[in-house]
Amino acid sequence: MTALLSRPAARILIGLIAPALFLSWWQWQASAGGAHAFAFAPLQSIGAAFVQLIEDGSLVTDMVATLSRSLAGLAIGGTLGIALGVAMAIWHPLDRVLGPLLNAIRQVPLIGWLPLLGLWFGTGQGTELIVVSLSAFFPALLNSYEGVAHVERRYLDIGLLYGFTAAQRFRLILLPAAMPLILTGLTQALAFAWIASIATEILLSAGSGLGVTMQLAQTQQRLDIILVAIIATAMLGFTINHLFQRLRRHLLRWQPSAL
Amino acid sequence: MYVDPRPPSISSASEATARGALTVNDLHKSFAIGGDSRLVLDNINLTVKPGEFVSIVGASGCGKSTLLRLIVGLDAEYSGEIRLDGERVATTSLDRGIVFQDHRLFPWMTLQQNVELALLNTDTPKARRAQIVADHIALVGLQGFEQAYPHQLSGGMAQRAAIARALVTEPKLLLLDEPLGALDALTRVRVQNELQRIWMAQRSTVLMVTHDVEEALYLGDRVVVMAPDPGRIRRIVEIDLPHPRDRRAPLLHKLKDEILAELTAAPADPANLVRLPGREGR
Repeated sequence: MTALLSRPAARILIGLIAPALFLSWWQWQASAGGAHAFAFAPLQSIGAAFVQLIEDGSLVTDMVATLSRSLAGLAIGGTLGIALGVAMAIWHPLDRVLGPLLNAIRQVPLIGWLPLLGLWFGTGQGTELIVVSLSAFFPALLNSYEGVAHVERRYLDIGLLYGFTAAQRFRLILLPAAMPLILTGLTQALAFAWIASIATEILLSAGSGLGVTMQLAQTQQRLDIILVAIIATAMLGFTINHLFQRLRRHLLRWQPSAL
Repeated sequence: MYVDPRPPSISSASEATARGALTVNDLHKSFAIGGDSRLVLDNINLTVKPGEFVSIVGASGCGKSTLLRLIVGLDAEYSGEIRLDGERVATTSLDRGIVFQDHRLFPWMTLQQNVELALLNTDTPKARRAQIVADHIALVGLQGFEQAYPHQLSGGMAQRAAIARALVTEPKLLLLDEPLGALDALTRVRVQNELQRIWMAQRSTVLMVTHDVEEALYLGDRVVVMAPDPGRIRRIVEIDLPHPRDRRAPLLHKLKDEILAELTAAPADPANLVRLPGREGR
């Protein structure tokens, strides 16, 4: 029985049970009439909205816009976060100067900065990208810092024994030893960047994107479009997270059981 | 004409000069513990001849691992003198290799990369490195595992890999800090035999710290017996038996009983139960 359940086809089928039940319940609610029918758009109208959004190309445009905003933010915030985290862990004066400030900033949820950033940079796409980058920055920073700061002494001793230069020590010991935590930071950064993309799109409605479409559909009371956008968000988020986890497993293949 | 009396080693670059003569003179070492200074090594004097295998045994806390850390150059705060071939030890050097109780292979590198990193800052030509690494992996019997990551190796294999990494630079002096302490009894005997074979082939000077009196006697030309608190040399035992040795040799058993009696007769000083920070180096 267990063997049968663990076969790939069976696993996919089992994974589909809960969504199927959920959709049946949804459809039943939608056909119950009255206020329910408004809050739960019937599946066929969601399907029709999906076809319409595919045909006019706006769904693909939105997905590309949100995805590239998230990935650009991840690239900018992740790179700066890793660089600064590693630098602070290696060079303590920098940690002492910047640590308290960064820790204070971190206590305010990112959306809390939005009004201020809006005043400084306007409410356009630039601000959206800044918020997404900032949301990726902190998890990348904190985890990279922890990873490099806690590299085991016994490995550093080996570097001393074989006369490693500072560059060798960094490339052959500090960076690979910190890699598991750096990648944990990037996993979090990816999730945060994705959330921040949708949230800022809903709040600022600048450019195109899944969040912009959700916001617009809400003002037009097009529940079916909102739902298509939500489903697209879920699928896309699931896919990039899955791809990232595969990359992570590959990079950490030297670990006893790569997480 | 000068004829090297030693059997040919893997190296073609071995010098004709005396290799690996270690002298330790009036060595004292203290650790600061909460403002107090605590003496851990008290007046250590020891001379190791080139090519000699010397074992050090003693109770925990007698400073034997500290002594190795000083000799290898990971700790430079001591008074007295440590010289290798006349040169004062101040920092680490490729002349001195060390194997720790934990193998300390980098988990993110394959066995081959782990051994090769020891050659990174040597003047060994790049073209020859792969061959030298392969020779040393073969020397410890790990052919076929070059691409394995450390977690894929058993404890005994990982320890042999660490020995290969320590030997690949052909150090004049090889320091072994309880290298077999974490292995099970059977693997331990096997790696002991291997260590003896490798040392007979290489004939570098070896200084090995161990808890195991039998191991110390089986491998050592001489056994240094240390007493704890503060760590000092109690006596040095010559073992006048040629290598390779037979574990059943009556002399080894007689000496083992003698040394064990000596080590266990020492009064149990409660101060010994205090773990010294930094002693294990982690």
